[in-house]
Amino acid sequence: MNLKQVQTTCPYCGAGCQISFTVDTDANKIVEAVPADGRTNAGTLCLKGHYGWDYLNDPQILTKRLRKPMIRKGGKKSPLVEVSWDEAISYVAKRLTEIKEKYGPDAIMGTGSARGAGNEANYLMQKFMRACIGTNNVDHCARI
Amino acid sequence: MSMGIPEIEDSGCLLCFGYNGADSHPIVARRIVRGKQKGMKIICVDPRVTETARISDIHLQLKGGSNLALVNAIANVIWSEGLTDDAFIREHTKGYDEFIEVIKEYTPEYAEPITHVPAEEIRRAARLYATTKPAMILYGMGVCQFSQAVDVVKGLANLALMTGNFGGPAMGIGPVRGQNNVQGACDMGALPNSYPGYQNVTDPKSREKFEKAWGVSLPDKVGCPITHVPRRILHEKDESKRIHAYYIFGEDPAQSDPDLAEVREALDKCDFVVMQDIYMNKTGLYADVILPATGWGENEGVYTCADRGFQRIRKLVEPEGDLKPDWQIIAEISTAMGYPMEYKNTEEIWNELIDLCPSFQGATYEKMEKYGCVQWPCRDKSMEDKGTPYLHKDGKFATADQKALFYGTQWHPPLEKENEQYPMTLSTVREVGHYSVRTMTGNCRTLRNLEDEPGWVQMNTEDCRRLGLKKGELVKILSKRGYCITRCLPTDRVTPGATYMTYQWWIGACNELTIAELDPVSNTPEYKYCACRVEKIEDQEWAERHVQELYEDIRAQMGIHTGKGAKA
Repeated sequence: MNLKQVQTTCPYCGAGCQISFTVDTDANKIVEAVPADGRTNAGTLCLKGHYGWDYLNDPQILTKRLRKPMIRKGGKKSPLVEVSWDEAISYVAKRLTEIKEKYGPDAIMGTGSARGAGNEANYLMQKFMRACIGTNNVDHCARI
Repeated sequence: MSMGIPEIEDSGCLLCFGYNGADSHPIVARRIVRGKQKGMKIICVDPRVTETARISDIHLQLKGGSNLALVNAIANVIWSEGLTDDAFIREHTKGYDEFIEVIKEYTPEYAEPITHVPAEEIRRAARLYATTKPAMILYGMGVCQFSQAVDVVKGLANLALMTGNFGGPAMGIGPVRGQNNVQGACDMGALPNSYPGYQNVTDPKSREKFEKAWGVSLPDKVGCPITHVPRRILHEKDESKRIHAYYIFGEDPAQSDPDLAEVREALDKCDFVVMQDIYMNKTGLYADVILPATGWGENEGVYTCADRGFQRIRKLVEPEGDLKPDWQIIAEISTAMGYPMEYKNTEEIWNELIDLCPSFQGATYEKMEKYGCVQWPCRDKSMEDKGTPYLHKDGKFATADQKALFYGTQWHPPLEKENEQYPMTLSTVREVGHYSVRTMTGNCRTLRNLEDEPGWVQMNTEDCRRLGLKKGELVKILSKRGYCITRCLPTDRVTPGATYMTYQWWIGACNELTIAELDPVSNTPEYKYCACRVEKIEDQEWAERHVQELYEDIRAQMGIHTGKGAKA
């Protein structure tokens, strides 16, 4: 068993706690999570910090983990069909371009995410909406 | 937050306003407990007896929706009893006299019938806050999720200004941001009015700078806030303003937003809905395209915690399946639409953005590796600039003349009041073991075992007796907009007439009831106040079966096969 130690920031709430993980790299599984000595958490964690990483094991409890791009090929309410990334990306690009040409850039709304994605993805999302689509219609779930 | 989280425990007095740290941020709440142990005085303002209220010196158990009346009354006492820091007001602020004109009438006796807090208690709290140094204010969604929210934030800042509680450690005012990276999403300009680093889209100089960096001309109008989207899809007459495409990334508006019936109708009527996420969710049922992203633990990046701290997130395991990191999906769509975005990794993106944001420019990956956390502003790339633990040092504010501005505003009541048909009120609150819409925590075995569908409605024991409700009994709760089924939790931590629910349950979905009225400035919904009614369900056996069937049906829609009774 090959083990590695990785320290990262907890994905729950704005406290920014640091967690130290032991990962079995052969099995690609987390073995243990213990509090690290972060600036804000100083060696403590709450229950979400201790147990909140199990979703990475995909225990199939509540909802299905998304594993493949999907399109409703028969329009609204038709079933989702698995497609390749190439097809998904070019389909999204084509539909957004059509809507932009027909109604203008302000007919498109995009969101950032205050959750797992991280700052870099949020930066790119607002850059995409502003520079590529041409609208300031970008916001995120800060208000909920 | 103007202060750092570790400073909380070193304050002399904490005014904890509409903030229930024990449920929303247990590790921040720990600092409050440690402060108490070190002798910090605590004033808790909350309609519920929260854990902070239990250890407080003074608990002002106000009526929901009366925040600004109470804040103005506290200011009134500080002013009328001469407890102000006159030197600070003179040297570091503007607009004091106009502010006093507004709060003059808010005597404690005037506020008492509005807030349901005895005048003498308001006086005691005001005196304790104003005469203990340093004093700190923390606030949460109990301030922000009202149709009068920004006025209350300014009202709290007024208290800190008039008592000179800015400019040093363990003082100031702190919104403790709820979601892990809500500070970061704001920092990055995922906002309709600002570019990254809080540079305004309507300011020609900022726009010019980003136009030059990104090589395109940029729109000068403020964009659409997220809470306007349902109406912009359903009711907008002007075709150029109507939303026809909605690219939803890492959110589940069909669960988390107010008035879910309206949200569902909007998603259904929107021409093109893209969902980019890690788990199937309610919004996915309306998406035309689903793009599967890597989740936390499977990718790299930076989060900003509530006190402006940039910290790294790191990959723990390799993602399984045909997944891409969020940033890569966005870059590929942009490239396919003719605006190429090419980055090798998150650090390249980070280096581009910090060079466009003076307050973040010094916060390199190298520094985050070395120091663990870098709090912005961090302006210089040299390793000596380790960031800024607290803001407004020496009373210098981020305005042109470095002076802070007082803003006085009048209190107004919440928009939907109790009435004969809906005689009680509903406020949404947080669940300690679950996060947001729970697609992550609900898929963690230990956390799921702690609390599951259909959640609880917290009600005063007197109300429960009147309605003949026992603990654990399934009840129906209704508003003008919809209804749901949940379990009754009798508790004297809440006052008669008020009810409280958490928002992550599918069956006990309180957002079927909530109202989409917004604060005019922040556009935050009034999640903390709407009129409702609780009804007893006579046939509990049927209700239990019904809840079970609903749960299995929704899980089947989410792609989980639950065995008996579940649809294929």
